[in-house]
Amino acid sequence: MSRQSNRTTDNKKMNSELFTLTYGALVTQLCKDYENGEEVNKQLDKMGYNIGVRLIEDFLARSSVGRCHDFRETADVIAKVAFKMYLGITPSVTNWSPAGDEFSLILESNPLVDFVELPDNHNTLIYSNLLCGALRGALEMVQMAVDVRFAQDTLRGDNVTEIRMKFIKRIEENLPADFAQHIRIGS
Amino acid sequence: MTVYNLYIFDRNGICLHYSEWNRKKQAGISKEEEFKLMYGMLFSIRSFVSKMSPLDMKDGFVSFQTSRYKLHYYETPTGIKVVMNTDLGVPNCRDVLHQIYSTVYVECIVKNPLCELGGTLQSELFSSRLDSFIRALPFFSVRAA
Amino acid sequence: MAIFSVYVVNKAGGLIYQYDNYVPRTEVEKTFSFPLDIVLKIHDEKVLVSFGQRDGIRVGHAVLSINGVDVNGKYTAEGKEIVEYLKDPANYPVSIRFGRARLTSNEKLMLASMFHSLFAIGSQLSPEVGSSGIEMLETDVFKLHCFQTLTGIKFIILADPRQTGVDALLRKIYEIYSDFALKNPFYSLEMPIRCELFDQNLKSALEVAEKAGTFGTGS
Repeated sequence: MSRQSNRTTDNKKMNSELFTLTYGALVTQLCKDYENGEEVNKQLDKMGYNIGVRLIEDFLARSSVGRCHDFRETADVIAKVAFKMYLGITPSVTNWSPAGDEFSLILESNPLVDFVELPDNHNTLIYSNLLCGALRGALEMVQMAVDVRFAQDTLRGDNVTEIRMKFIKRIEENLPADFAQHIRIGS
Repeated sequence: MTVYNLYIFDRNGICLHYSEWNRKKQAGISKEEEFKLMYGMLFSIRSFVSKMSPLDMKDGFVSFQTSRYKLHYYETPTGIKVVMNTDLGVPNCRDVLHQIYSTVYVECIVKNPLCELGGTLQSELFSSRLDSFIRALPFFSVRAA
Repeated sequence: MAIFSVYVVNKAGGLIYQYDNYVPRTEVEKTFSFPLDIVLKIHDEKVLVSFGQRDGIRVGHAVLSINGVDVNGKYTAEGKEIVEYLKDPANYPVSIRFGRARLTSNEKLMLASMFHSLFAIGSQLSPEVGSSGIEMLETDVFKLHCFQTLTGIKFIILADPRQTGVDALLRKIYEIYSDFALKNPFYSLEMPIRCELFDQNLKSALEVAEKAGTFGTGS
């Protein structure tokens, strides 16, 4: 008999400070291991990517959101559903490019950086770069290639935290080459 | 009413999981070839349906039936395809397939960082949860041989 | 109007008859300014919407006309490449009509042949003994019904999912085929059916079935 747990409310609430501390420990350890800010950013991006490709399935399983057919729809779903579900915040969507292929997410608060202050010698470090990788990985799994980066960061002295997302292209699903020999059907 | 077998594919055509309960006839080819044929057939049906459809579709291909069985299809936006073969008495059960995805696949596989994606699923927990889920379905009954 | 089309496929998978009874047209024409916020791609010599659905323009719709003039595949009527034309700001504002692309006869031939193979694979992958090929295929907007005779000819009907009596209609079309095609000495077997009487009788049979089968869908 499958257990029907109540999926709309998470009954295993975790202390958000523990989460902030865990993330902070991860970043500082990476800084020690790699020493170079750029390299740490790359690692955070990779880790985020690996989280994103799995998180998307949980997201689809829990919300009843279907496929997005338009980048504006995607932006709304990311800001109002996904960020709310996983980080408890709702960033605002602004600064649309005229072609509708780029927008910004403005975060008033960022749970990853509660209590964090960046020291002076870490000015190339993008502390929350995990978020960029996660967004990229998740969207790639639903056939969208996007570029995600931090345009502004309160940790680096800006007023707000701004994530800029750019649509690159749709990833088409193709029949793997070795199927052709198994079926004599044209596509 | 019964469930014959079930396939789960990922978006690259890899068969992540296959189980059978009451299958009476094999396809006459190796399992590997069968998975490829099944995936190829489904991919072609989707392409066929999108060209043939007189109207814009939302869910797309849902099921087909022959004189002896019915194939139910459900696909997620991430390309995970759940395919279930039942006898003809079972009505369309998209929500059951969605549940298999959300309560079994996502719970046991996606959330387990030690489970590698992109290959045949090795998780015992997954197999047993899926088996219990199917056996608990109202339209599942083990037929006398 | 709930029966969309009829296809007849011979033993070898070749399309020998095709009739479109009712093909609903969903087309949208809009004026756009530069830059275009709809992502286009080229597929099968047509320009299709890949992403950027809105205002009735759906993913999968094709570019049907530009500034009121029908396009020619992936080229405008004047022979310019549509994708290049739409990248040039000098060509804006531009009025583009989008909609589901009509199938060409070649495409219909190919689709019939594709279904012929899928039909057989459906039987091969059966988990039960003695299965036929695909007799009914369902999507959220249409149902495909297929009747294969013992001689290997397939009669295929695409209809609204709520249309009833399609199985009886398929048998009726088989009767019409055996009367007005097979009993016509000038008709060669397995070849395209070009018999007036077959057409006429088929159309009446469709009318009868539609009147009997629909239940108040606003017709």
